[in-house]
Amino acid sequence: MIGSLSRATPVIVQGITGRMGRGHAALMRSYGTNIVGGTSVRTDVTEAAGVPVFPNCAEAVLATGAVASVLMAPPLETLGAVREALTAGIKLIVTVAEGVPIHDAIRIGRAVRRAGAVWVGASTPGLAVPGECKLGFLPDVCLSPGPIGIMSKSGTLSYEVGYRLAREGLGQSIWVGVGGDPVKGVRFADMLPVFFDDPRTKGIVLVGEVGGVEEEECAEAYARLGARKPLFALIAGREAKEGVSMGHAGALVHGETGTLDSKTRRLTAARATVFGSIDELIKRCVRFCLFDRG
Amino acid sequence: MLLIEADGKALFAEQGIPVPAGVVVTDVVTALPGDGPWMVKAQVPVGGRGKAGGIVRCGSKAEVEAAVGSMLGGRLKGHAVDACLVEAAAVGQERYISVMVDAASYGLRVIYAAAGGVEIEESGSAEGRLCAAHPGAVAEALEDLLAGEPVAWRDQVAAIGKAMATLLIDKELALVEINPLFVSESDCVAGDAKVVVDLNAVERQPVIAAMIAARPVVYMDANRKIAEGFDYVELDPEGEIGLVTTGAGLSMMLIDELVARGAKPLNFCDIRTGQMRGSPARLIRVLEWITARPSLKAVLVNIFAGITDLGEFSGLLAAAMQASPGFKVPVVARLVGRNAAEAKRILGEAQPGMLVTEELAEALVRIDTIVAAAS
Repeated sequence: MIGSLSRATPVIVQGITGRMGRGHAALMRSYGTNIVGGTSVRTDVTEAAGVPVFPNCAEAVLATGAVASVLMAPPLETLGAVREALTAGIKLIVTVAEGVPIHDAIRIGRAVRRAGAVWVGASTPGLAVPGECKLGFLPDVCLSPGPIGIMSKSGTLSYEVGYRLAREGLGQSIWVGVGGDPVKGVRFADMLPVFFDDPRTKGIVLVGEVGGVEEEECAEAYARLGARKPLFALIAGREAKEGVSMGHAGALVHGETGTLDSKTRRLTAARATVFGSIDELIKRCVRFCLFDRG
Repeated sequence: MLLIEADGKALFAEQGIPVPAGVVVTDVVTALPGDGPWMVKAQVPVGGRGKAGGIVRCGSKAEVEAAVGSMLGGRLKGHAVDACLVEAAAVGQERYISVMVDAASYGLRVIYAAAGGVEIEESGSAEGRLCAAHPGAVAEALEDLLAGEPVAWRDQVAAIGKAMATLLIDKELALVEINPLFVSESDCVAGDAKVVVDLNAVERQPVIAAMIAARPVVYMDANRKIAEGFDYVELDPEGEIGLVTTGAGLSMMLIDELVARGAKPLNFCDIRTGQMRGSPARLIRVLEWITARPSLKAVLVNIFAGITDLGEFSGLLAAAMQASPGFKVPVVARLVGRNAAEAKRILGEAQPGMLVTEELAEALVRIDTIVAAAS
């Protein structure tokens, strides 16, 4: 689903009459995303950001044929809104709310899995196929079509990386913000087959963080799948305070679990390269694209 | 966020999980539970307290007083110790048991090990089961895991495990761990309590909310987040560089890079410019907190604005600086995004000579220079 996104993919925005929904629907449209409608609890509004507004997902899907939804609901309402989207037959759900409780996220994950759908979130800046479309709010200034696949827990750190790569002439094939939540939809390891099978992608950048075991899991999958394309990793949080969530609920170190050391060791053993600074990562990507590929 | 042991044990007691008799001491030791021996434990929300000297076994009241006296007012693994838990030392064999949310399976993971102790994570002797997120499923998983245990305490441990699962689900926790769990024929009791709460669920969890609010010092960062709606974590009360930054990942990376070059960042900060809505209130708060530390030598502002208008942000920053009379240190601003030129003009007027740049490397070099000149 993620690999085949294009400017033709019909997308709705749930919560399109709110401040965020309206604003980001307009920005996505101006980038080229095929926003075909939105939903809202408000019955007095029939149009927002230049597209029709429906009372619920079922009616929106029926009228527009949408297959993907960008969900702009508050964190405690995200679970209900995801259920609504799944019931309507939506196959790709992008949730942007910061602060979805983990026990809600478990329920979302189960429902999405049962429905055979794909979920990006809980808290994500979204995903993009630069030059085609973006779902969410990845800043246009960072987006540029090119050979690098980006997957990131952090929004801002990936903006920084994407922006600097683009400045060096290296754009992105597919960019997915998996988000910084401990319980989430698409994980780093899930993205590897997508990048491996995508002919536009020549190299992969992983922007990780301390906490959880997603980087370790990705290292295992990378080795198992045969390391078909180079994987360059940057992991934030070497100096994170133990026992305290550093902004992202998932960025929590306790004991040996989730440390930078454990992630670096596992990724390196799987023949990925881990960098200590943004500069080093950028330089390596440039060298790879200019020289190594020949 | 990790609760201190005393709060974890309060949740345990309420859920019917046996805990040793104990008292929380914040000042002088008065009545002691039982006749000894006792365990004195520093109440800081961090693991590995034993290895760091935060857990001491005492045989007499004098030893308890000495241990409490040496812990209170000190620091342990970066956290101030303002309370100790003094408990009757439990007896029996040691076990390990935990119930946690398992992100990959969208369910729970139950782990049990017939050997407890602090080395559990390295020992590899622990066995785990994945199950659905309800107490019945946890009870079934435990039947398997406890098959090798003597009948004498198997049922008691199973009941504790089920109570841990109920607690985890009802209070929307991320982790409930007991290490060690003391088991014997007479009774089973939780030697420790490691409970990780989900701050995103606090709004609908009044018991947890009250627990956090009751300890403004221990849970300073969490209380800040709940009250202010954004993240600010003090890393080093003697830090020299205050950070005004947005985005958790970029802020963490910046801290890593500052420390790598020998600098001393004071704080982590994810101010969320998108939520400021034309008010300098958040910026004023952050300036107030960092200015409160006399070691402060410079402030580094780093904003990568995807959506935010940097002109508007800079106006708010200038207003916040003006509204903070105690704020006197030099500021370096690294700003990328919309309206950077306007931002440069506004900030140049707010603090003449301020470096406003798009280049992070240039900003870091200037910070080095300022800190060196002030030292």
